[in-house]
Amino acid sequence: MQEWQFVMPEKKHKKKFFGNLKAEVIDAKLCCHCAACSAICPVYGITAGDKPIEFPNWVKDCVDCGACVKVCPRWEYKPLNGVGNYVEVISAKSKRFKGQDGAMVTEITATALEMGLIEKAIFVSRDEDWRTKIVTIRDVSQLYDRKVTGTKYCYADSIPALKEAILSSKAVGFVGTPCMVSAVRKMQNSFKKFERVKLVIGLFCTENFYHHQLSEFLLKHKNVDLMKATKTDIKKGKFIVRFVDGSRVSFPVKELEEIIPSGCKVCQDFSAVESDVSVGSVGSESGFSTVLVRTEIAKAIVDKIRERGTAEIKEPDMGAVQKLCDYKIKIHPYPPKKKEEKKEEKS
Amino acid sequence: MKVEKISRSPIAELKRHVDVIQEAFKQALIPDRVTVEYPRERRIYPDNLRGFIVLDRSKCISCFRCAQICPANAIQMSLYDNFYPGVDYTKCIFCHFCVDSCPTGALASSNLHDMAFRSLEEMKVKATQMTRLPTIVREDKQSVEYFVTKKDWKLQRKKELEDISVLRIIPRIKPRRAFCEEPESCLGCRQCMEVCPHDAIVMERCEITLGGEVIGKGCILKVTEKCVGCGLCVRQCPMQILALKEVE
Ligand SMILES: Cc1cc2nc3c(=O)[nH]c(=O)nc-3n(C[C@H](O)[C@H](O)[C@H](O)COP(=O)(O)OP(=O)(O)OC[C@H]3O[C@@H](n4cnc5c(N)ncnc54)[C@H](O)[C@@H]3O)c2cc1C
Repeated sequence: MQEWQFVMPEKKHKKKFFGNLKAEVIDAKLCCHCAACSAICPVYGITAGDKPIEFPNWVKDCVDCGACVKVCPRWEYKPLNGVGNYVEVISAKSKRFKGQDGAMVTEITATALEMGLIEKAIFVSRDEDWRTKIVTIRDVSQLYDRKVTGTKYCYADSIPALKEAILSSKAVGFVGTPCMVSAVRKMQNSFKKFERVKLVIGLFCTENFYHHQLSEFLLKHKNVDLMKATKTDIKKGKFIVRFVDGSRVSFPVKELEEIIPSGCKVCQDFSAVESDVSVGSVGSESGFSTVLVRTEIAKAIVDKIRERGTAEIKEPDMGAVQKLCDYKIKIHPYPPKKKEEKKEEKS
Repeated sequence: MKVEKISRSPIAELKRHVDVIQEAFKQALIPDRVTVEYPRERRIYPDNLRGFIVLDRSKCISCFRCAQICPANAIQMSLYDNFYPGVDYTKCIFCHFCVDSCPTGALASSNLHDMAFRSLEEMKVKATQMTRLPTIVREDKQSVEYFVTKKDWKLQRKKELEDISVLRIIPRIKPRRAFCEEPESCLGCRQCMEVCPHDAIVMERCEITLGGEVIGKGCILKVTEKCVGCGLCVRQCPMQILALKEVE
């Protein structure tokens, strides 16, 4: 006879666990749409995609296991912030790949695959209309597709794909925004199998969007049809869309204020402090990425890149990174400043 | 190649007649035809050729594995004192995945290969009809076996008849039981408990301690002796941390 134990998290409300998550995170407007709950839900009841997280019929269908609460980065939320620990920082540009900035995310992933550190990696590609689409990278050749590299300013269901990947593979790489990175760390702390995620690449991030809201905004207010766009970017406080014919539309990100999801407005983690390596554009000149190397595995990869000379390497401007980290704390205070009645906190 | 015109000369005609008569005599005395004259003759098949599926009801644990694995969707579970499988031979493709996947050896193959049914309805064989071989009407008088070597192949006709009363080719099954390979990855969703047809997995509430200190509430999951090793929980587990392990 075999027996084993598992922990049940403490409930805050006398409801099933999803009811707790809904009350404390989703309805409390803290949800960052990382989709970790959707990935871990044993009955696959929690839905993500291009709409707020929900569990239709949870009162009946939730099996009350508490896994969603265990992996949620916004449950008992304590914002992370700052530049975080790092062992090395460089500004670099891949000589092989084309990406958003210096394509260093892609270069690091390719090198990790070539070194045999990971068997596959979860990337975010897109369709013609810039809807996010998950792709599993098994071979470096897949990374030359320009749809696979580059930033999509919309939520992506990478973590559900990551969960499937760890079931079939022993070493997986992951790329995500800071909230997704935190979610992966929580998953690793709660469930051993997620130790198979060997490399977590974080992206610098201030906010993300729902695809339908972003595309509707662009069409209505800027007469921009994403179908014709070749690149979207946020640089120096401007949202920039480039088109096939070389033209571009640019406007201050501030104008997007009304469609910034509430969960992003309480997030202070710009640099993905819990990642193995964080990559962003701030701190580097155009065409280069800033790479913050935080852990041993990332260090080994960057050393390999340097040894092979597959990237051009420069000095970054850490002042700019620090400034953005501070700025994010300022614009996203937690608990939020203008709040309604504070909820009574009774368990 | 061009087909030559057949000569109609009386001598050629006569020669052809003689040839035919000669062949007829030869076949009457020492026949060398290779066709099996079913049903007067019956071909002997190798032991492992998949045949009519038989069921040992006392071994069946109603785990539904056979019904779920069947690629032709030919197995229907019906309720008697418990659920038992019936095979629809209008659909069965004789892959015997059901036999191979049966965790207890309740399903087995037999060496009955030629089945005949009077109607389509009759081809839907019920569990109760699978516990023994159907009535066999034998018309065969001799058996036939092919021998194939690298150079040529021969047919051997034997007077003795094959015994098709051998009921079951019993699969060798080692008893197995569900086992959690990585308890540290258990979500605590209890899907294994839910799916278990024998209530073999049980749960108790407990306190979780770490180094002697209580760190929270939790549960204990136990796989009890009731487990028959059907493997349903293994397939259900969303983290794929369960496996079947042989027990002595
Ligand atoms: C929503 C979002 C907001 C960002 N905001 C900032 C910012 O304010 N300041 C800043 O300096 N940098 C920001 N970045 C990071 C920046 O846009 C680049 O992704 C980063 O510099 C890496 O560039 P690269 O050329 O090295 O990456 P590439 O080699 O081009 O690789 C890009 C990687 O990003 C992944 N990716 C793309 N879209 C998504 C998505 N929606 N979710 C998860 N992964 C995705 C791709 O799978 C790919 O792995 C943001 C990124 C995202 C996704």
